[in-house]
Amino acid sequence: MKLKNKIKTLLGVSLVLSASACESYLDVNDNPNNPQDAPISGLMTNITYETSWNVYREGSAVSNYVQYLASPNPGSSSDTMEPLNFSSLWFSLYNVMTDLYTMNEKAEAEGARHYLGAGQVLMALNLGMTVDLFGDVPFSESFNFTTVTPAYDDDKALYGNIMSLLDQGISNLQATTTSSMGNDDFIYGGDLDLWLKFAHTLKARYMIHQKGDPGYSAAEVLAAVDKGFKTNDQNAQVVFFEQRFNPWASDAIANANLNLTGWISEQFIQALDGTSYPTVDPRLKLMVGTTKEGKFVGTVNGAGRGNAPEQGARSTLVEGQYYTSRQAPLLIATFAELKFIEAEAAFATDKTRAYAAYLAGIEAHMNMLSVNSTEKSAYLTHPSVSMGAAALTIDAIFKEKYVAMFLHPETWNDARRYDYGYKNMTLPENLNPDLGGKYLRRLAYPDSEVSRNGANVPVVSLLDRVWWNQ
Amino acid sequence: MKKNYVMTLLFLLGILVSIPLYAQQTVKGKVIAQEDGKPLPGASILIQGTNTGTVTDIDGFYSINVPNAKSVLVFSFIGFDSKSLPVGSATILDVVLATSASDLDEFIVTAFGISQEKKSLGYAAQSIDSEAITATKQVNVVNALQGQVAGVQVTNSGGAPGQSARIIIRGINSLDPNADNQPLFVVDGVPVDNSTVESAGTPRGMTNRIADINPNDIETMSVLKGAAATALYGVRAANGAVIITTKKGKSGQVQVNFSSSFGMDELVKKPALQDEYGQGFSGVRDDSSFWPSWGASFAEENDPNYVFQDNWTNAFNTGKTFDNNLSVSGGNDKATFYGSFGRLDQEGIIPFSNWERTTAKLSGTVTASEKFNFSGSINYSNSGGNRVPHDRFLERMMYWSESTDVTDYINEDGTMKTYGNTNPIYDARFATYEDDVNRVIGNINFNYSPTDWLMFSYRLGTDFYSDSRTEITPGPMGIVGEQALDDIGFLEETRINSKDLNSNFYITLKKQWNESWNTQLRVGNDIFQRKYDRITATGKEFVIPGFYNLSNTTQIFASQGKSVRRLVGFYGDLMVDYKNFLFLNVTGRNDISSTLPKENNSFFYPSVSLGYVFSENFDMPSWFTFGKLRASWAQVGKDTNPHILGATFVSPSVFPLNGQVGFSKNSTFGDPALKPERTTSVEFGTQLAFFNNKLNLDVTYYKSNSKDQIIPVPISDATGFSSYITNAGEIENKGFEFVIGGTPLERGDFRWDVTANLTTNNNEVKSIREGIDQIVIGSQYGYASATVTMILKEGQSYGNIYGASYVRAGADPESEFLDRSLPQVIASNGFPLRNGNQLILGNAVPKLFGGLKNQFNYKGFEFSFLVDFRTGLEQYNQFGNFLSAFGKQEDAERRNETVVFPGVLADGSQNTKPVWLGQGKGPDGVDYGAGYWRNNYRGSSENFVNDASYIKLRNITLAYNLQPEVLNKTPFRTARIALAANNIILSTPWDGFDPESFSAGAGGNAVGFTGLGFPGVQSYFVTLNLGF
Repeated sequence: MKLKNKIKTLLGVSLVLSASACESYLDVNDNPNNPQDAPISGLMTNITYETSWNVYREGSAVSNYVQYLASPNPGSSSDTMEPLNFSSLWFSLYNVMTDLYTMNEKAEAEGARHYLGAGQVLMALNLGMTVDLFGDVPFSESFNFTTVTPAYDDDKALYGNIMSLLDQGISNLQATTTSSMGNDDFIYGGDLDLWLKFAHTLKARYMIHQKGDPGYSAAEVLAAVDKGFKTNDQNAQVVFFEQRFNPWASDAIANANLNLTGWISEQFIQALDGTSYPTVDPRLKLMVGTTKEGKFVGTVNGAGRGNAPEQGARSTLVEGQYYTSRQAPLLIATFAELKFIEAEAAFATDKTRAYAAYLAGIEAHMNMLSVNSTEKSAYLTHPSVSMGAAALTIDAIFKEKYVAMFLHPETWNDARRYDYGYKNMTLPENLNPDLGGKYLRRLAYPDSEVSRNGANVPVVSLLDRVWWNQ
Repeated sequence: MKKNYVMTLLFLLGILVSIPLYAQQTVKGKVIAQEDGKPLPGASILIQGTNTGTVTDIDGFYSINVPNAKSVLVFSFIGFDSKSLPVGSATILDVVLATSASDLDEFIVTAFGISQEKKSLGYAAQSIDSEAITATKQVNVVNALQGQVAGVQVTNSGGAPGQSARIIIRGINSLDPNADNQPLFVVDGVPVDNSTVESAGTPRGMTNRIADINPNDIETMSVLKGAAATALYGVRAANGAVIITTKKGKSGQVQVNFSSSFGMDELVKKPALQDEYGQGFSGVRDDSSFWPSWGASFAEENDPNYVFQDNWTNAFNTGKTFDNNLSVSGGNDKATFYGSFGRLDQEGIIPFSNWERTTAKLSGTVTASEKFNFSGSINYSNSGGNRVPHDRFLERMMYWSESTDVTDYINEDGTMKTYGNTNPIYDARFATYEDDVNRVIGNINFNYSPTDWLMFSYRLGTDFYSDSRTEITPGPMGIVGEQALDDIGFLEETRINSKDLNSNFYITLKKQWNESWNTQLRVGNDIFQRKYDRITATGKEFVIPGFYNLSNTTQIFASQGKSVRRLVGFYGDLMVDYKNFLFLNVTGRNDISSTLPKENNSFFYPSVSLGYVFSENFDMPSWFTFGKLRASWAQVGKDTNPHILGATFVSPSVFPLNGQVGFSKNSTFGDPALKPERTTSVEFGTQLAFFNNKLNLDVTYYKSNSKDQIIPVPISDATGFSSYITNAGEIENKGFEFVIGGTPLERGDFRWDVTANLTTNNNEVKSIREGIDQIVIGSQYGYASATVTMILKEGQSYGNIYGASYVRAGADPESEFLDRSLPQVIASNGFPLRNGNQLILGNAVPKLFGGLKNQFNYKGFEFSFLVDFRTGLEQYNQFGNFLSAFGKQEDAERRNETVVFPGVLADGSQNTKPVWLGQGKGPDGVDYGAGYWRNNYRGSSENFVNDASYIKLRNITLAYNLQPEVLNKTPFRTARIALAANNIILSTPWDGFDPESFSAGAGGNAVGFTGLGFPGVQSYFVTLNLGF
């Protein structure tokens, strides 16, 4: 039995040896593909890029509600205002806010105050875009994985966060910093002055939303306007890339390849072609395509294209125009928008300022589209447009803002504040019967939240309004 | 943790404490086999009429003391006919036992390639031999198992050359939609890779890697089902194991075998299609319309340029398969060898699809001395082919005009010939995706026995492959008026390198204590490593059209994915045999995995199984040949994928842009406190044989519970992550397996054998982690919101398909299940009303499946057929949804009919409103727009979630073996010619292509979606085998 003992000893020794050797042998689980940490500037690059995409995503989600676009198919749920599942939009918004949260934490720790400031401005923007669509949303328990089911915060309280983030951002952008933004910033290439103007423009935007609220002050809006954009060059935008086309351009290309999308609503065509208003807008031909016969024909929301063929019979987005060039900018906030905010804010107190801002807003948008000067002045001098300060109406401001903000999600905020009061705007055909003949006022919470965080998701109907739209 | 396995080993070693034997007056002798004269170790010797007996030692010797000269000794050994001999005056009795003809004596290859008597197993195991494997001429060894083994469900993902097949043993054990639930494949004792790496873009029907093995090289395949059967392979065999033993040389003359076969494939089944209407819309002919068949009636148009083209028949070719194999084997007492060469060429039914495989194998065994032997084998294969975009092919077939010949696809200048839509055949020809896999599987085994009760064994296995893939989609050729496949064209080069290493060292200790007790203990160490590296480079926009090189593109993107996984296991396996009728097997294993957090990465799991051959314990009536009861309980742990723990950052593939690389927080978070998953299974079974084996029956009940399942749980995006990989739930699988076999008739040279197997499976999601209501497994698109989703909810079974349905009068508003028996509610427009709520429309997991094999032999003739079936499942017919959108299904021939839909109105009264089914203005003056099928039918998923049962003639073979008297006049040792046919549908309610095909490929769990994948094929083969 000697041999047996030897074996036992051998076995014991080898077990002990292999146990210790095995620990380092098995220590190979660090991720070789994804780093544990990322530089602030890499986060900034993706955040600015994805923020512009979020504006596109929201624009794409609500363009049928404001009747910029219409589905070529009858009874399409995006036209008829049925509850849709916006899970991927929600993901994109929270994905960018998660990156912002992470970047801001790192920037604060490193003393990179300019990154922190820009991060706070963009956090305010992405949070604002989320609240405006959904109302109450998670924020205070978000991003740091303290719970898998974060609570929903009150939308009015979140507006407090938005304003405070913008103020903090403005202050940090002016502080001394350990590192500076540059080409990693796809919006301004690190230009602090423009970041500050952008922050003030956003303050004006989020304050004008609160017009009906007792805390609203037109003077504060106008003060923000004064510190905001001064020219089109200062627009907050991301210019797209040779390797990556502007998504509206991609939609136009897809439609040309018969993946039908980007069909223009009859409401939008008629607002510009002289049907709803006395003037023919020279911008129409620079914004949308024509039929085979060179005519502008819209599609009635909810009605579909009827017996019209896939191509050539209706106006659609076509590649190569201002909004639809492959390397066109995606607009986040514009000088034109700010002018219309100024017009609206000044309207009650200072008609002259309001009127001047209104005209400046139209002209700014026309300059963006490079409308030739003859057509521009013809339009601007048409009595239905240049009605004079005394005759200026809120309707005129909202109408011109509607045109100038083509495809931008901010128009849906305007539409709801304006009770969808655009001239000749009618409910879509085949309207969701649950709406009882009214326009929808909010988006349904996405299926992903209902299935993953169901207990916290507020029960709402599509007619329930966000706080600033009561 | 380390305590765990040390304790186990000590425990197992403790059983080896010696019990002294003391000698008496004895009869001694040796028991040998008649066939080869070799000693039979472990043969049992019983004194008739008593319970006293012994067994032979490793060299076949025995000794037993007997009461008197009248005693009769009964010599028996499994696989041999028993012999009874009176002792008389003899003190030495040498016995020769003859091989028995019965089937029960099977040896089955179990863990580590160890051949074990099936009789001694405490769990169900089944094997199939080389003849059954090659009879079906399946290219992929997984397919060869189809319908042959109880509890094993094999599904072809499609009929493309080299396309993956999926094998599931005893149901899906994981809640993870992406988990690979397939068993571990083990070749000659060494696990090998069976992953399927699908293409990143449109599905291409890639190969599961076990298809690199040439089925002609396989001697046997055994399927180990429960966790008990596989406890010794550790975590990687948590879903069972398929143990493949390759052919070895036999001592004796050198044998040369040659086989050659030719096969043809054709579409097994097509949906019922319309042939009355052509291109256009609203009943109006339009030769450039996007709409392929909403146009005018051929009969009414009566124009030779506007006729039905029967594209669905003409677009598909007859597939061809050539398979040639040559093997040489031989050896002597000291050494044997086996070498083979195989070449397979396959062309698919979709034009330009092909696959080829070249294999070469060399193996040998050397018995250097009585104490030392070693063996090794090396298997080289080269495989690959052009993988057509099959999903896109069928989608484009769908869009293609019924009145334009699809096979007329190319202009003289090489551009696509089309009226507007992309021609599917042109796409299949030019949008290529070729893979080229070089693989070497090698293993080497050493066995050293210093004494007769001790053996040291070592096996080292390697499995290396490189997979080189090139995808080309050409851009414009620069010819005016051309319609290119892509605006700019692209080229993607993928290089995959995978290296598996397996090292296994074990010590076997055998001890025969006395006549009654026999033990064998095996302890060992097992190490596994897989290194995987993929590099992809994509170039876009060719500068020179038609020159496909990355340096000829203007934009280049690259990506990389690497991983390493290591596992170290320690195990012990004790077998105790009491009087050759009671068998106990206890195992324990401790695995340490690199993929789990260090605190939790070591886990121990035991198993115990018991086999009781009661027919050898009690006297049974003469018709009761054999009876055994078995029971087992086992656990198996499971680790996770490498590199998933904690939070990381990713660089989205869109970067670099303007020289900047962006980073984003990875939306997947791996629980840093992840624990191993644990599956506990119990199994009870019995194996019975009657009438001298004319009838045998094997029944097994199994139940397995997988707890602490590691699942990527979708969580609120607002948390900062979207997916949280954690221990999140439990799933239970249970059911029965029946195997019934027999020889109903054996008369003279005629013999008829029957085997049938039947499996039932029920599974239930027992729990999902608190705070999570459901887990979405996957979804598949349907037009007009007919998209269906597979969702897991607590208390429900796996595989429920949710989708849109028609509103039913009197439906229980609380019920999640659609009750199709209730009357439909008809809307005021006269059409059935659609329900926006998602209801359960069906379940994709078969509740019952099985196979029946009949084999007839008469002299040199063999005739056999294998029928298999599955039932109790529904699948989503995406193809049906598309057909109805484009008016191509047979039912769309009713487009000029006016009907009254059966059902009730909202007020409960019977619907009486007649409506027209066609497009545009109907005979009643009402404008019906796009018509019934587009407006209504296609938007209700319930129309497309259909019964996917089938009965198939899986294989039918007629063979003739030349008889010895003829062979003697030829140079051949053996000669055989066989005709076979595979995969012929006998019956199915499914209206579509082969319901067995599914979109996901073999590597995932979303099986309920048939998609637009490569349709299944039926094949016919003629095979010639010659032996020299």
